[in-house]
Amino acid sequence: MSVTLAHLTARTGLDVLDHLERETAIPVLDGLQAQGDLIVIPLHLVPEVTVPSHARWRTVPPTGLELLRSTAGGNPHTLVADQAACTWTPTCVDRERLALGVLRTSGPAYLIHPEHGGSGIAPGSYVIRRQREGASTSRLTPMRVHYVAD
Amino acid sequence: MSDPRGPEARPDASILLRHAIDLRNAWLGHALSTLPADRPAAEAAISDLYRLIGKPPPRFVWVESPAAALAAARPRGAPRLNHRTLPALAADWPVASQLATLISTFRSRLDRRIQRRLSAARLVGEDPRTLVHSQPPQEALRLGVRLEHVVDATVWESLEVSVHDAVAAPLRTERQRPSDDQTPLTWYGQHDAHWIARYEAWLRLGLVRASPQERHQLGVWSALARSCGWWSPSDDTCVVSERPVAVHTEPTPGGVHGQRRLHREDGMAVRYADGWGLYVLHGTVVPVWVVTEPTPERITAERNIEIRRAAIERIGWDAYITQAGLDLVAVAPDPGNPGCDLHLYDLPEEARGPRARILLAVNGSVERDGHRRRYGLTVPADLDDPVAAAGWSYGLSGDLYARLLRRT
Repeated sequence: MSVTLAHLTARTGLDVLDHLERETAIPVLDGLQAQGDLIVIPLHLVPEVTVPSHARWRTVPPTGLELLRSTAGGNPHTLVADQAACTWTPTCVDRERLALGVLRTSGPAYLIHPEHGGSGIAPGSYVIRRQREGASTSRLTPMRVHYVAD
Repeated sequence: MSDPRGPEARPDASILLRHAIDLRNAWLGHALSTLPADRPAAEAAISDLYRLIGKPPPRFVWVESPAAALAAARPRGAPRLNHRTLPALAADWPVASQLATLISTFRSRLDRRIQRRLSAARLVGEDPRTLVHSQPPQEALRLGVRLEHVVDATVWESLEVSVHDAVAAPLRTERQRPSDDQTPLTWYGQHDAHWIARYEAWLRLGLVRASPQERHQLGVWSALARSCGWWSPSDDTCVVSERPVAVHTEPTPGGVHGQRRLHREDGMAVRYADGWGLYVLHGTVVPVWVVTEPTPERITAERNIEIRRAAIERIGWDAYITQAGLDLVAVAPDPGNPGCDLHLYDLPEEARGPRARILLAVNGSVERDGHRRRYGLTVPADLDDPVAAAGWSYGLSGDLYARLLRRT
């Protein structure tokens, strides 16, 4: 069965802006996908991201797991999956320091956002990273960056 | 049963929560109120607090803003205590220090009792902390989160974000001068709403006990917060500020507990009668020029990326890039965003701050009006390829980012 935004909002109680297309099936993809200021990356593409063995994995509840809400009050990105299909850990090592965490899913999982709608994630392991902006003053000084929040 | 074990055992939980939400909304109203101070009520409440530490009522000096209070309190302000100047007997301490002790004793007792109750009202379900922050309060209750946790999120945490973090903290920063250690001890009147509302909610809902003395003291703090702005006590005088004359807010996006943030596009978001206040756009505190005259020259001269972004969004990314005369470095199709291009620009020579470029991208999802919003990102100046620049923003190489399947 293909899942639409209408299904996801009904299941989680989360809402999306009313001008987004609710009845179109959300494509479930196994590659890179961006949702506003977040990106979903298959874990095997980024060897610089590792999950330590002591990481605690938590089951994503059917009502969803809020991954990121900016302090200025941006809209939340919420991870949603069928019961017991998906686990999530925020414990990971990322040389770029952009990872929010890593998910492992055995069925389709969905990332949902009030303005950006839904992204479907095929079974597999993925890291979810934030977006940054910034610049370095010179090659010798550290990068001055901050996270992008939409 | 005094300790019901689940939502079924307390059929009135939903009604109690309704009371808590009403109380939160009323307190948000007091906290953002622009009415003239109720001077008799404020003076009576402060006199009560002086009485609680065994002091006679002070003389009251009313000022128009917290900034004016600083000037008024300066000559009379008691020096801050430290280990060298602290009198041995508490009764000899300055009034402000004794009041600080009074309130911290009062609050820590109630906080301890509330904390015990929160720990006892075990969190149930898989992720109740997330639930209580992502779901509307009644829904969180229905999903099994205990009333105590929902009430704390929807009253205390909500007001702490909307009032303490969003209003009082930036005002305090604005008032603070560099190398100024003479700021008198200050309480925040209407901006103390978060902790006062928390105790009122817990007591009114019968979730925690308090002695008659504690109820009396809470009543005094509550009356004070409903009647005036910031106040600084000293031994014989108390400087009290009026409330602001204008406060402009908008709902905080995604907030399920009625949170609000400061926002005004045509003036100060918070303004006191003497003209002191803050310019704030969508919760970001900005210098006055961002609101009144966001010119490309000023934007280019601004070092702070967040302020620069707020200013650019005032005039629009396209307008900024045209008016500032940014040079186009390269254009490339945006992977995963069919029909849209990535544009990479050089910042002008005279730009301050680190050498940088601007990547102009198009949102993957449409706005309400059917358009796709354009937005810019600052990226390091050594990136020449727009796709590599977009990849860099997510910590990826250009080759990897080129494999993006979908952007929303």
